[in-house]
Amino acid sequence: MTFEHCIRCTICVENCPVFRVQPDFPGPKQAGPDAQRFRIGREKSIDDWVLLCSQCKRCEMACPCGVEPAQIILRVQQRYGLEHPHSPAHLLFANNYYLSALGSMTAPLANRIAASKIGKKILGQIGISTYIPFPKFSFHTLRREKKSRSRGDRKVAFFYGCFINFYRPDIGRKIIRMLQSFHIDVVLPPQVCCGLPALGNGNPALARTFAQKNVASLSNYIDAGYDIVYTCTSCGLCLLQDYQGILEIPETKKIAENCYNLHEYLLKLIAEREIHPVFREVNRSLAYHIPCHLRALKIGYPAADLMKRIPDLDFTILDDACCGLSGSYGFKKTNEATAIQLGTRAASLVRKTGAEAMVADCGSCRMQLGGLSGMDAFDPAEILCESLGIRGKKQNNA
Amino acid sequence: MSVIEYDVIVIGAGAAGLTAAAWLAEQQLRVALVTAGEPTACLSTGCIDVCSRSEHPLAGIAGLPDGHPFHQVSPELLSRSLDDFRQTMADMDMPYAGTLEINRRVLSAIGTFKNTCLVPATMQASPQSDAERIHLVTFTGLKDFYPGYILSRFPNASFSAYDAGVSTTMGIAANFEDGAFLETFLLWLERQKIRKDKIAFPAVLGLESAFSVSKQIESRLERPVFEIPTLPPSMPGRRLFNAMKDHLRRQGGVIYWNWPVIGVEKSGRQVEAVTTEAQGRPNSLNARAFILSTGSFVGGGLYAKRDRIVERVFDLPVFAPENRDDWFEQDYFSMNHGIGRAGIAVDDAFCPLESPWNNIFVCGSILARTETLKNGCGHGFAIATGRAAARSCLERLR
Repeated sequence: MTFEHCIRCTICVENCPVFRVQPDFPGPKQAGPDAQRFRIGREKSIDDWVLLCSQCKRCEMACPCGVEPAQIILRVQQRYGLEHPHSPAHLLFANNYYLSALGSMTAPLANRIAASKIGKKILGQIGISTYIPFPKFSFHTLRREKKSRSRGDRKVAFFYGCFINFYRPDIGRKIIRMLQSFHIDVVLPPQVCCGLPALGNGNPALARTFAQKNVASLSNYIDAGYDIVYTCTSCGLCLLQDYQGILEIPETKKIAENCYNLHEYLLKLIAEREIHPVFREVNRSLAYHIPCHLRALKIGYPAADLMKRIPDLDFTILDDACCGLSGSYGFKKTNEATAIQLGTRAASLVRKTGAEAMVADCGSCRMQLGGLSGMDAFDPAEILCESLGIRGKKQNNA
Repeated sequence: MSVIEYDVIVIGAGAAGLTAAAWLAEQQLRVALVTAGEPTACLSTGCIDVCSRSEHPLAGIAGLPDGHPFHQVSPELLSRSLDDFRQTMADMDMPYAGTLEINRRVLSAIGTFKNTCLVPATMQASPQSDAERIHLVTFTGLKDFYPGYILSRFPNASFSAYDAGVSTTMGIAANFEDGAFLETFLLWLERQKIRKDKIAFPAVLGLESAFSVSKQIESRLERPVFEIPTLPPSMPGRRLFNAMKDHLRRQGGVIYWNWPVIGVEKSGRQVEAVTTEAQGRPNSLNARAFILSTGSFVGGGLYAKRDRIVERVFDLPVFAPENRDDWFEQDYFSMNHGIGRAGIAVDDAFCPLESPWNNIFVCGSILARTETLKNGCGHGFAIATGRAAARSCLERLR
């Protein structure tokens, strides 16, 4: 659907978290389909407020006419990026992958610098916000994991994503162990950043480079009979939507058709009676914050469907509020106020449930809401592992 | 393809679909609601119009032309469904006022009156005649709300404007969720030394807490306060939608956002599943029965081609004036356009007539001969037919 299908009903505006708190952003309707009519010429883009869109995709989920305001804005953001010099923060976050690789290599030092006063000051100088602690780099990244194979008919290539790889490899190891416990053969295919941070920071060329590497690698595994399983909802959305869409990478339909969210995949195997997990009781009450990009994947809330099977587990689904961090969006000084306001609201909804901890599929949602609510924040996979009796080798404190 | 099984799938998230789904979930059925986007209910005034064309809703219904679907709902069921609705909203801290005995008036943003049956408590004090002495408080720069319209019709009205720092409905409403903002506003109001009997505000007194905000203003200024519904984005419409949606979820219903139905699987006289669009593979939702509540033209349930009108999900036979020339009258603003009667004709059990499938039930404004605008059969009609269709669906399943 194009911008011409917009009937200007403003339902997208009602759903836009940024519009709620940031008066400089005119909202998805005006920034997307409305302004699009004036962008057809060759004039240089001057509407710098397009950068205020956090790409949460809530407008797209709400639109009754199938217009995709966030897609329209994303394209304008790329064009703006091409026509204007990038701020240091944009440059750094676009290259988040290389930065994180460096950070992990020098983990103890990098963590200490990022947490120190002087480190925060430097980050502040280059326009990076530090209202919540920066995630801690992990020295033992997931991709350095030794190969261990179980012999099964089902073969899974695990697209773990940067967050798990660099910051929480312990969750990645648990997921691998969980899949192996169902006699699924798990491999870690060669992979780089999905490209979403580069897109989000106006660097489509870099995003395309990342995407091409991933597609080449994953495509080989699909041909060899592997299913691709991702766990980060934003990586998933990028693989499924942006590779085919804005990045126009050839052969990505195959990727989209063979990519599964971890929980969606487990549900599929359960439905096909291929695995028979025995969930033991988990005595917790949780607030399940649904990440915006999980909604945008249009696969329902598969982790919730799995957690419903866990005896004694009590959880409330919250899907009305965006956490406000949106990956690197909230880490930029220009967006700090927006991110804090949205995060505070989302965190207060989480606290209102009276739950003792929260759970969210997305690492950056957990960082934001865990940080602002002061509650423990889990990945749903961690709760499943707890129920299935799968433990990590050692705890990571990030 | 991901396959998910339910007892009932409800298609469409307006007042009819949400009522039907929540009631069925309450009866312990496994219910899922799928929707292509958010409903037109979000754009509404939040008022529950049962039959606004007459002073007395029940007499109005009795006077509707033969064949109007409202005749298929017994007065008892209508009354029970509205009682339940009021109870639900009261539980959600969003009470409604009014009775089926007589319609009440609500002041509109252009100074006219609208007839309706139930109103949100924040509109309960709306004046019943233009002789009432009201003071209007508006907000600097607020678009689409001009006190002049009301002042020109109300001889005893005055107004003042408050600078809320933002000029959008959403932005101001979000501010009212903040206690400090409300306190500053209350102090300003006190300084205005308002002497009129009632105080009016455009409907921006909060996103979720409007009822408590209006109560706080009432107790501080010791006189009744009421909201005037605005053009979209309409906060009362959004509050209504959010509350009904949360109610459905509390009853155990599942909602799938932005899952436009793209295919139907049938076997014999039964519809077995609907297929919905997703990023990678389409989803397939199996169920024993389906409830269609996709709305009429604006809602997207009906689509007018050049020569005929189609129902978009199941391609059910559509009742419409036989002659293409009878679709429209010459007068644009006429209430008698033939196309207003278009829709799905149903039998006593709310099953579509002349349909090859026997497990589909239809409710809401997609029903033939509804003429929502002309008859003032709005949310009240949707709630009643939603309940009636759900009840006959349950009878069929048992």
